[in-house]
Amino acid sequence: MRRIESHIDTNAADYKANFAAMSERLKEFHARQHAARFERPQRDIDRLARQNKLGVRERLKLLLDPGTPFLEFSTLAACREYDGAVPGAAVVTGIGIVQGREVAIHANDASVKGGAWYPHTVKKIVRLLDVALENHLPVVHICDSAGGFLPLQHGVFPDRYLGGRVFRNQVKLSQASIPQIAIVGGHCTAGGAYVPTLSDYNIIIEGTGAIFLGGPPLVKAATGEEVGVQELGGAVMHTSVSGTGDYRAATELHAFALAREIVSQWKRMPKTIIETAAFEDPYYDTKELYGIIPKDRKTQFDMREVLARIVDGSRFHEYQPDYGTTMVCGFAHIWGFKVGILANNGVLFNDSSLKAAHFMQLCNQNRTPLVFFQNITGYMVGREYEERGIAKDGAKMLMAQGGSVVPKFTVIANASYGAGNYGMCGRAWDARTLFMWPQAEIGVMGADQAANTMADVKIRQLEREGKQLTEVEIAAIRDPVLEKFRRDVEAYTSTSELWDDGILDPADTRNALGMSISAALNAPIDDPHYGIFRL
Amino acid sequence: MRRIFMIAGHEAECWLTHDGSRFVLNMPDGAVPCQLVPTGAPGAYVLRTGGRAHELRLAVGPESTFIHLNGSTFEVGRVNPDDRLAGREGTAGGDRLLAPMPGVVVSVAVKPGDAVTEGQPLLVIESMKLETTLTAPRDGVVAEMPFTAGDSFGLKAVLAQLTPQEE
Amino acid sequence: MTISKLLVANRGEIAARVVRTAKARGLATAVLRHVAEQEGPAHLIADEVVMIDGPTPVAAYLDIPQIVATAKKIDADAVHPGYGFLSENAGFVAALEEAGVTFVGPTSEVIDLMGDKVRARAFVEKRGFPVAPSAIEDDDPATFVERARTLGYPLLIKPSAGGGGKGMRIVREDSTLETEIETAHREGQRYFGDGRLFVERYIERPRHIEVQVMGDGQGNVVHFWERECSIQRRFQKIIEETPSPALSPEQRDEICETAAGIARAVNYRGAGTVEFIYAQDGAFYFLEMNTRLQVEHPVTEMVTGFDLVAEQLRIAAGEGLSAAQADIPQTGHSIELRICAEDATADFRPAIGDILLLDEPHGEGIRVDSGIRDSGKVTTDFDPMLSKLIVHGPDRAQAIARARNAVQNYVILGVTTNTGYLDAILAHPDFASGDVSTGFLAEQADVLTAPGEDVSTLLMAAAALSDQRLVTDVMQIPEMHRKMGGWRN
Repeated sequence: MRRIESHIDTNAADYKANFAAMSERLKEFHARQHAARFERPQRDIDRLARQNKLGVRERLKLLLDPGTPFLEFSTLAACREYDGAVPGAAVVTGIGIVQGREVAIHANDASVKGGAWYPHTVKKIVRLLDVALENHLPVVHICDSAGGFLPLQHGVFPDRYLGGRVFRNQVKLSQASIPQIAIVGGHCTAGGAYVPTLSDYNIIIEGTGAIFLGGPPLVKAATGEEVGVQELGGAVMHTSVSGTGDYRAATELHAFALAREIVSQWKRMPKTIIETAAFEDPYYDTKELYGIIPKDRKTQFDMREVLARIVDGSRFHEYQPDYGTTMVCGFAHIWGFKVGILANNGVLFNDSSLKAAHFMQLCNQNRTPLVFFQNITGYMVGREYEERGIAKDGAKMLMAQGGSVVPKFTVIANASYGAGNYGMCGRAWDARTLFMWPQAEIGVMGADQAANTMADVKIRQLEREGKQLTEVEIAAIRDPVLEKFRRDVEAYTSTSELWDDGILDPADTRNALGMSISAALNAPIDDPHYGIFRL
Repeated sequence: MRRIFMIAGHEAECWLTHDGSRFVLNMPDGAVPCQLVPTGAPGAYVLRTGGRAHELRLAVGPESTFIHLNGSTFEVGRVNPDDRLAGREGTAGGDRLLAPMPGVVVSVAVKPGDAVTEGQPLLVIESMKLETTLTAPRDGVVAEMPFTAGDSFGLKAVLAQLTPQEE
Repeated sequence: MTISKLLVANRGEIAARVVRTAKARGLATAVLRHVAEQEGPAHLIADEVVMIDGPTPVAAYLDIPQIVATAKKIDADAVHPGYGFLSENAGFVAALEEAGVTFVGPTSEVIDLMGDKVRARAFVEKRGFPVAPSAIEDDDPATFVERARTLGYPLLIKPSAGGGGKGMRIVREDSTLETEIETAHREGQRYFGDGRLFVERYIERPRHIEVQVMGDGQGNVVHFWERECSIQRRFQKIIEETPSPALSPEQRDEICETAAGIARAVNYRGAGTVEFIYAQDGAFYFLEMNTRLQVEHPVTEMVTGFDLVAEQLRIAAGEGLSAAQADIPQTGHSIELRICAEDATADFRPAIGDILLLDEPHGEGIRVDSGIRDSGKVTTDFDPMLSKLIVHGPDRAQAIARARNAVQNYVILGVTTNTGYLDAILAHPDFASGDVSTGFLAEQADVLTAPGEDVSTLLMAAAALSDQRLVTDVMQIPEMHRKMGGWRN
């Protein structure tokens, strides 16, 4: 494969301005992530210490193999909810390495509201278990939760993808012979009791861990029986009397050592074989991405320059280089894994849609995973394009993309507007992982466009009522709408709502994709099959 | 992957990684890339680290590695911290010894006030034609031995009680 | 009388060493082995290996009837006792005589005499040889404490039946004398089944110098010069050398002649060693006579060129001494290091383990008398001494340098040994200058066991990379994840 020839001038003024702007954004992003992970009110830290519990980050350290990566999902989940008081949605999820095996991890963060399940917590756990199901990843549950957050029970409990889905996914994992282990380092009450009990293995930490359908206060209220936590659902009772627990651990250290020992017993399943090559770092410096991504989101840039800083050796075999040029398609390796890449270099036209559809069929045919780099404002509109059947060609692209059997991975590198989001494997299209860059935006349309559209509707309505509006009055209508839209399309809103699996520092994209692709190969790849293409 | 190494009574927890081309030993006070190359003679190696090559002789025992380096011999104890921790009895803190099945006390080896160490026999019971020696679940002091030889007891009877541990 | 088949009633390095010489003299050889005993070098080279039983291996080697019966059974006409075990047991000698088997060593009467420290001392004193001021409990138990007191402090309490430093106690203050005597009684009873004591003036900073003698039992006695054995830990020698750096030629002649005189006085037969306490002022006193081959005899062989075991066998066969005094030279300098399985940093606690790798030093002027083999086991069944490293050099400085080099290249892996400690002694400036006493090791304990340069990083790296389970675990992490290291997004 040939190396992409970069045309970036790192001394150019706009490169430097871009670099400065991105650095500034990343400073803020990293500060927010750090706060979400580590900054807690002193009283919560004290409470954990008093309960003789380790924090979730220390627990992860005990669990994971030292010197191995951890791909954390949605660190900033719920960052725009609950007045920001539930960092990370009170749960840590991700993919890590335990005893040399890739595992999905779901760990309650008891330093946030006692690890209570908020609506976003449930969404984050369900997503993690979906990841485990799709990728056949064993799951380690680290349970320490106060239970569902009752004031918001309607957002936690009843719907299809709420609380019950956690347990449903556990059952599906078990059905698929994917092992699970739960380490009970706190209370697992009511529904929470099913996390360890639906796991193949569970370990209860003496003194702090407990499992019961109803805690002592509920028992007292229901039947009048007075019973302590340990008698009702402690480690000794469950591991020696009820058989609900498998192992009891004297300490947290003991528990995680046991967990590692158990994981080391699990059978290693052969991974799906795809084309691979020896690793090669990108030829160009990954950090140069900061100067390539324009500080003004509307400025066009060549996605090949981005690929050159992510793929192995900056090597890229471009498919149909002279046709449908707004859609860059081609083959590359990421961490040695051969992938087919689709990257936007402008709006999607008929030819670029057809090229994308064809390329995805190629990749499915030879079992090459797909990676989408989105910078898409949509499919081209206008009479000429409708006449050429842009909707029909877009449908072909969706059919090819949605019908793909190879694993798909999406990076929202800049814009993700409208139906372009669909064609380029947006959230609804089952990308195995989907990450956003911090300056990226997502929405039906751009914020300005949306605000203007909404403001115009309002202004025309007022005009119909005979009101003549001054510039100031118009601005007073438009500006708040614009402000709201600008906020709504931001990556932070997306990640708060778990529309993605997290915001990435662009320089981390290569590793995040490597981890994602490697994880995906734990699941088999089906034979290609499609629905009906509108030809 | 972790190891606790013990040299002359000092312990250090380390972990070893391999970045695709070389091993790196991560120690509490820093990390060093290192390589161990056999040189032919039994147990003879060159250890390359920190830009230096050290000739040594080495033999791996079940719990220790013996190394002859610069004219001196050293013993390096090795423990997998997971093994050390995972091997612990879950109820290290248990105060009571409960009868695993109904039976008769054959003999009692300790009395209240005795200091006992983990694993020390406390009493012998007979049940289902089998004699079983029950041992102290942890180090401690005997608080109560409710039965004497000849007494029969039921399932989960408290056969021995240690004084609770100070927190 | 001729000897054609020799049974070596010993084990370890000395058994192998005796067998080698016996074979060189054309004798058939047999050695013993207890069921619980590892196969040692002697078992490999001896013509015959006879199994012996006993509740413990040591008990079997001390079992007189069994060993005498063994000698008869295999038609051995002589028994070499080595050192330790039955080498100084008059009853054993008598039993062999009765069975018509030659004992390679002195008569039972001499063994009996010299085996009783009190009688030996009285015998030597009576014949005008120097002994230290002393009091013997048996002379009058009622006044023992009083008589001890009048000798003046410091005092050394010894069990009458003892040897090898066991049960010896130094008393510096009158207030502790009586309790120390009581303790020594108990220890004597426990170690030797005999609580009788004697007390002598304790010589401050003494040296231990001994003289190798050899007699034909016909009145002819020669000496093979002295050995300096002041480097002792817990009263047991670990480095011996000859010549002694403490002696002038005149003193050397005087002490060696004294030793030969004592041997002559008992019409000594075979190899023996007369031990002296040598005071800093040059005075020396008879300590005891060992009626056997000493552990440290090789240093004498290195400087004299004589094979002392061959001499023993000649004498036992009635062939007499092979040399007159004037034919026995003292050339160059020799040092012996006793390689022991023990932890010098933990009060010389005996160490056990499997010998995983053994590589002995070799080269000019280096001799190793070894009782171990690669992949052998070191247990607490026997003495912790594994082997002896003996070097010879043109002078003392070169001998020390050669000894250091050799001990540094003595690779014994799998069991803790004192090689590093021995090297530290050799490196000590006081050892280099020869300014030592029997208290040297105790006085310099901190210096000698001080940790060397910190090589823990190298050790941990070597231990990690040779740990196959660890390496396998690491290499089972997928390569990409290993290469990413501790990356976090």
